[in-house]
Amino acid sequence: MAYRAEPPDGGWGWMVVLSAFFQSALVFGVLRSFGVFFVEFVAAFEEPAARVSWIASIGIAVQQFGSPVGSALSTKFGPRPVVMTGGILAALGMLLASFATSLTHLYLSIGLLSGSGWALTFTPTLACLSRYFSRRRSLATGLALTGVGLSSFAFAPLFQWLLNHYAWRGALLLVSALSLHLVACGALLRPLSLAEDPVVGGPGAQITSLLRHGPFLRYTVALTLINTGYFIPYVHLVAHLRDLGWDPLPAAFLLSVAAISDLVGRVASGWLGDAVPGPVARLLMLWTTLTGVILALYPVAEAPTGLVALTVAYGFTSGALTPVAFSVLPELVGTGKIYCGLGLVQMVESIGGLLGAPLSGYLRDVTGNYTASFVVAGTFLLAGSGVLITLPHFFCFSAPTSRPQDHVTEALDTKVPLPEEGLGED
Amino acid sequence: MRALQGLRGPRAPALPLFLLCFLAAVRRSLEDGLSTAAPFTSLPVQEEITTKYSNLSSESHNISVTAAPYTSLPVQEEMMTKYSNLSLESHNISMTAMPMKENNKGNQICVDRGIMLQRNVTLEQSNMPVEKNITLERPSNVELTCQFTTSGDLNSVNVTWKKGDKLLEDNYLVNATGSILYTQYRVAVIGSKQMGSYSCFFGEKKQHRGTFNLKVPEINGKNKPLITYVGDSVVLMCKCQDCLPLNWTWYGVNGSVQVPIGVPVNDKYVISGKHANETRLKITQLSEDDQGTYWCHAIFELGESEGHVELVVLSYLVPLKAFCAIVAEVVLLVTAILLFEMYTQKKKKPSGDGKEFEQGEQMKLDDSNGIENSGPRHRKNESVGQ
Repeated sequence: MAYRAEPPDGGWGWMVVLSAFFQSALVFGVLRSFGVFFVEFVAAFEEPAARVSWIASIGIAVQQFGSPVGSALSTKFGPRPVVMTGGILAALGMLLASFATSLTHLYLSIGLLSGSGWALTFTPTLACLSRYFSRRRSLATGLALTGVGLSSFAFAPLFQWLLNHYAWRGALLLVSALSLHLVACGALLRPLSLAEDPVVGGPGAQITSLLRHGPFLRYTVALTLINTGYFIPYVHLVAHLRDLGWDPLPAAFLLSVAAISDLVGRVASGWLGDAVPGPVARLLMLWTTLTGVILALYPVAEAPTGLVALTVAYGFTSGALTPVAFSVLPELVGTGKIYCGLGLVQMVESIGGLLGAPLSGYLRDVTGNYTASFVVAGTFLLAGSGVLITLPHFFCFSAPTSRPQDHVTEALDTKVPLPEEGLGED
Repeated sequence: MRALQGLRGPRAPALPLFLLCFLAAVRRSLEDGLSTAAPFTSLPVQEEITTKYSNLSSESHNISVTAAPYTSLPVQEEMMTKYSNLSLESHNISMTAMPMKENNKGNQICVDRGIMLQRNVTLEQSNMPVEKNITLERPSNVELTCQFTTSGDLNSVNVTWKKGDKLLEDNYLVNATGSILYTQYRVAVIGSKQMGSYSCFFGEKKQHRGTFNLKVPEINGKNKPLITYVGDSVVLMCKCQDCLPLNWTWYGVNGSVQVPIGVPVNDKYVISGKHANETRLKITQLSEDDQGTYWCHAIFELGESEGHVELVVLSYLVPLKAFCAIVAEVVLLVTAILLFEMYTQKKKKPSGDGKEFEQGEQMKLDDSNGIENSGPRHRKNESVGQ
């Protein structure tokens, strides 16, 4: 038998964790630190700030909407070639951007080209990671996602240094070389053949079956709701603090504190997700509810100590819900369909992410302060966690978590993909 | 003709000087004090200048200034009426010599008549000169007033004024009220010759000194060097915060000599400026010879002021070399990873079912499939052993 029945849960899996760590750093760290280039572009192209910020927005949008494509391709070809191609695309986009003479040029090269490169790297990597682990899945995901936070710390000063020494053209050239490391990370993704892989069929069949899968759809809805509220504090916290009378430097410092507690939360929740038996969805619901409550409490807190405590707690809980959110998916759809599943989820939940910040800004413009937007964000999170309750086996305290064997034994009888694969609750 | 000196007696015993405090703009109080006697009306322009030159902090204080009527001098009248169309500016320095504390070292908070003033002044020696910087853009009449408070005998204090090192003989008044000694110097600043440092001295040995530095506004260039590449074009900008110079000129530096940039050669240099308070020098077709410091001079009626911008021109090879180095490193990494994989695969017996893929997986390196099929078995043993 050429296929594993169980994910290895270690061994080369840890190299995949390392690869995922660097990839999340190189994709999201670069995206988050791109604000440093922002000022230079405004001066160099003499365009208003709103138009320049579209560069990052297009990049993020392409990355998220392109996730299903990345997933489908890696289902067909395996993650390694897809991620390596994605790395080359991302680096190529940055390289072309260094020759830019207009803003449109940057939209196309960084936004479109690098964005599609990123779409081909991130989702397949996380899905590959989920296939390598089962017992320690949450911990592995949590560790891998810390790359995002750490790289934001490291890349912003690095980019500023590059700008000071090479101006933006040279700096983009060197960021392109940096992004090329995605190819090296992709080389680390040794493909894994698991037992249920031949059964679930090609990408088209998988996507169709997923779209008919009740729990998957409910989960997607829940994540979209969560995503709508998730980013609001990151975007508006500093502005809210300034409204309350804080100076810019302590406000920015508080955001860094939130980032640190975010990191801690990711790792702690990852460990917890593996240590606690039962469906991981319960933990996700716990963290989501806590985050929602904290967000709703923000308008009430006026004193600095209260705000600091709330921000640290928010950082921790919001960081905690990320690895668990990724770990729920394999339990729902099985590791065979993980690539396509993750791609679809990312695409749909990005709608929530794109809507959340402008909605919050609009509420702020209408009401005059951030109370309404924080409360709405908290409500979205609580709604998302409410939907999570409807997931199967939520209230069963003795039901085992989905194991690949279940999928295999159910599916091995036929060679066509079954639409009702999953925990078999139907 | 000598100004009426006021009371001057024998040299007062040396009074240790403890505090020198900057007093805030005394514009309003001074106007109130002088409005009874001054031949000038306060013009609306003054208020404007007050807010414009906000480096002269405008805290108000309630030291009552009772000015005794000044005797007008013929010379002053003549000069002032000649330039009466110019705006008037008043500036004040206050100095106190209090015999209370002997402490000359460390920070002291200036307490004058029970009012706590904002700045702490560190004294290192007993005769610390007090300085005030005044920025002037257009010709104006300037009044400089020094107040000296001492508990000793005011009549015995000697008052002198100097511009730079030159002793000024006239155009100043001295008056004493209560325990404060006032002296006021008026000058019509119409050209660069009247700019500079004016100092008032109290005491026989001129030990207490207040200085007014009259300067033209400062120009801001750029502190960080501008990095550009060969063949690019760049815009150098100099800006003045609140002032409107008459004219701007640019100078490039050749060696240590400033060479004016005047005639545009092949449109290489274009001088422009969107507003009057800024100037832009656009240089096209940069080459490495264009590297260096560029100076912008702002010309005022009262003098010149300059700022500088540093330009660095790099060739494309500079970042390109770093880029190629990093790309080579990545290629090396990828090769190493794939070679390592082939090596570990060779260590195991290559299995015959290495050609079975799941889902038609096509890989760039076909032999890697062999690893997967023998690998899992290997790893399974590992995991069982865990």
